[in-house]
Amino acid sequence: MIKFANVSLIYPNSTTTVLENLNLEISEGEMVLVIGSTGSGKSSLLRLINGLVPHHTGGILAGDVSIDGISTQLVKPGELAHLIGIVGQNPVNGFVADTVEEELAFGMEALNLPSDVMRKRVEEVLDLLSLAALRSRSIATLSGGEQQRVAIAAALVTHPKVLVLDEPTSALDPIAAEEVLSILHRLVHDLGLTVVIAEHKLERVIQFADRILYINGVGVTKVGTPEEILMDSPIAPPIVHLARALGLKEIGVSVREMRRMTQAFRTKDFLRATHSPVSGDTKIISVESLGITYAGYRALKSISATIYNQEIVAVMGRNGAGKTSFLKAIAGINQPDSGKVRVLDLNPQNLKGKDRRSAIGFIPQEPSDLLYGQTVLIECTQADADNDVAVGTTATLLDQLVPGVSLQMHPRDLSEGQRLGLALSVVLSANPEILILDEPTRGLDYQAKRELVSILIAFAKNFSKCVLLATHDVELVAELATRVIFFADGEIVADGSAIDVLLSSPAFAPQVAKVMAPHPWLRVADVIAAVENS
Amino acid sequence: MRKPSLHPLTWWIWAIGLALSVIRFNSTVFTFVCVGVVTVVVFLFRDDAPWGKSFNWTLKLSLWILIVRTVIGVLIGVPIPGTTIFTIPILSLPSWMPGIRIGGAVTTERLSAALTEGLLICTIIIIFGAAASLTSPHRLLRVLPVYLYEFGVSVVIATSALPQLVTAVARIRQAQLLRGQSLKGFKSWKRIAIPLLEESLARSLDLAAAMDARGYGVSRKRSRYRPIKWRYLDSIVVASAVLAVGLS
Repeated sequence: MIKFANVSLIYPNSTTTVLENLNLEISEGEMVLVIGSTGSGKSSLLRLINGLVPHHTGGILAGDVSIDGISTQLVKPGELAHLIGIVGQNPVNGFVADTVEEELAFGMEALNLPSDVMRKRVEEVLDLLSLAALRSRSIATLSGGEQQRVAIAAALVTHPKVLVLDEPTSALDPIAAEEVLSILHRLVHDLGLTVVIAEHKLERVIQFADRILYINGVGVTKVGTPEEILMDSPIAPPIVHLARALGLKEIGVSVREMRRMTQAFRTKDFLRATHSPVSGDTKIISVESLGITYAGYRALKSISATIYNQEIVAVMGRNGAGKTSFLKAIAGINQPDSGKVRVLDLNPQNLKGKDRRSAIGFIPQEPSDLLYGQTVLIECTQADADNDVAVGTTATLLDQLVPGVSLQMHPRDLSEGQRLGLALSVVLSANPEILILDEPTRGLDYQAKRELVSILIAFAKNFSKCVLLATHDVELVAELATRVIFFADGEIVADGSAIDVLLSSPAFAPQVAKVMAPHPWLRVADVIAAVENS
Repeated sequence: MRKPSLHPLTWWIWAIGLALSVIRFNSTVFTFVCVGVVTVVVFLFRDDAPWGKSFNWTLKLSLWILIVRTVIGVLIGVPIPGTTIFTIPILSLPSWMPGIRIGGAVTTERLSAALTEGLLICTIIIIFGAAASLTSPHRLLRVLPVYLYEFGVSVVIATSALPQLVTAVARIRQAQLLRGQSLKGFKSWKRIAIPLLEESLARSLDLAAAMDARGYGVSRKRSRYRPIKWRYLDSIVVASAVLAVGLS
C-alpha cells in the first residue's frame, strides 16, 4: 500500500539528514507505529506519505514514496486526498468549517461526490465515531477528545485506504485516548484500513501496533515488530522497563502478556512498604468553597482544598472537568463568583509584578506564550533583570534543566522539551513559592519527561516549595505526584495520596500497577525497591 | 432568541450598500445613524464564535484611526480660513516642500473638515468590520466559486486567522500577566505581538496544508452537501441596504 524506496530527506539550512535511505513497505491492513524523540522527524515521515513534505514544506527528497502505485513526486497532495486521510498534530488548526457536519462534508465536496453519497457517508461516519449527538454543534465548542474524533471522522469520510495520524492522543485523557485507539483498531480489522501513527505515549498505543518504525533523529531508521524494537530501544513504555528490570527474557507489550509473564513473581511474598505521606507543615494554598462560572456554565462548584509545602499535587480529570479553571483561580486570573482563594495568606488576584513572580510561577499550556525574546539569551537576561538576580542566573538554570541549548537560538526553533525548559528556567529564576504547570507533557518524549520529573521533585523537596500540575499523563503522575486531586464536572471527586487515588480506578492506574496488581506499586522503582527489601 | 441563519453573502452585500449610501449621503448625522444601526445589528445577530468577537476590535481600531486622522488633518495641510480656535507655532520646512504647512492656526472649519473625513473612513471600516463579524468565513468560502482557488484559500486563512488572533491575544496577555509583566505601554505590545505573529503564521501554514491534503481545489467542480439557500430574510436585509442607497 505504502512504499518507501531509498528515501532520504534533508531540509535546507540543516546539517542533519532526517531520513537516510529508508526502505519500507507497508501492506494493506497494517498498523505501523512511528516512534522517536521529539524533533527526530516523525511528523516529516508522516507528511511524506501524502506529499505534504516536500510539496508544502520544501526540503530535498531523494528516492521515491508511492501510495497504491502512485508516486508522490508526480502528483500534488490534493490529488491523493481520495487515498489518504491525514490528521495533524493540532486538529483545531486544520478545521475548515464551523459545524461538525459541514466539516465532515468538506473533503467530499472537494472531491465532487454526489450529494446522496455524501449524506450516506456522513451518517455512517457519525455512527462509527459516535458523533451523532454532536452533528450540528459548532466545532469550537467541543472538547479536545471530541475535536480529535471529528478530525478522524473527517479524514475517514472520503473512504481513504490509508489513515495517517500525528500524535492523536497527546491532548486526550486516558479514557478518551483508549476510545480513539480502539476505534482505529476496529477499522484496521474490519475494513483493512492501513494506519500509520506517530505517538510519544507508547503505553497507550503499543498493544495495537503490528510493526514499529524507529527514527533516531540523524537519519537512521529501524523497522520491526514491537518486541524486536523495544527489546533494546531507549524509548520504551513502563512495562518494557519493568520487564527489563525483572530480567525477563521476553518482553510483553500489553498488560495481559506481562501479567502472564510475571505470574510467578507476583505470588512471592513481599514486605508491605510503608508509604509516609510527603508534605510539609506550612499551609501554602487554601481554597474555600470556590465557585467559578463562565458565560452561564459552572466550571467549578464549591471547591475546597488546602495544599502544603513539599507537596506535588497532580490535578486530573476528563477534558473540561475544571482542571485549568482551578489552577487559574489559584494563580489569580479568574474572578471567582463565590468562595475565596488565599496563597501565602494573600489574595492572588492582587499580586503584581515582582511580588507575583516570587509567589507563583505559572507555565501555561503553550509555554511559548511566556516568551517574546528573539533569542534564548535575550530571554534569560530579561528574566535576570526582572528578578534582580545576578546576570547569568537564568542561563545557568537553563543549562541545568536542559543542557546544551544554544543561547543564540530563537525560542521557536527549540524542541518542545527545550522550550518548556526555557519557560521553566525563566519562571524559576524568580524563585517562586508555588509552581503551577498546565499540561506540561504535551509533545514531550520519555527523555524530556524524565528530566522534568527530576527537576520538579528537586524543586519541591530541596527547596520545600509546592508544585501543582494538571495532566492526563498517568505515568507522569505515578512518577512524580505525592497527592492527586481528581475533578469531574467541576467538583472534586477524589483527593488523596497518589497511590490511593491511582490504584482505586483502573482507567487511571499506571501500567506497572495494572501488571502488578494487587501489589500497591506504581513505578518500576517501587518494584525494584520491594525486591531489594524482601 | 434563535439567531436566523443567513446566506453568507447577505451581510457583505448589505455592507457594500450601506458603505455606498454613506459615501453618497456624506452627512455626519447619517453617518452616526449608520454606525449606530450597524452596532445594534452586530450585537443582536453575531454568532458566539471567534469572528463574532472581532467587532469590538474593529470599533477600537476605527476610534484610533479617527484620532490619528484628525490630529494629522489639523496639523498638516492647506490652511482653511475661518474662526481660529487656537494657534500652534508653524514648523519651518525646507524650501523644496512648498505648499505644505505644519502647524499654524487651527480653525473650526479645519477641525470639522478633518473630523468628518476621519469619520467617513471609520464608518466604512466599521461597516465592513460588522460584515466580517456577522459572517462565518468558512461558510463564505463554501459559496465562492472553486476557480477562485488560490483566492479562496487566502480568504479562509486571512478571515479565520484574524479572529483567532483576537483569542490568542487574550491568551498571551494572560500568560504575560502571570509572568508578572505589566500590560501597559508600547513595550507590552511588543511582548504580545511577537508570540502572536509566530503563532498565527504557524496556524496559517497548518490550515493551508490541511486544505490541500483534503483535496480542496483539485476538482474544478464542487458538489454541495447542504446547499446554502437564499431565503426571504436575506432578501429583506439586502433590500434595506438597497433602500439606503436609493434614498441617498
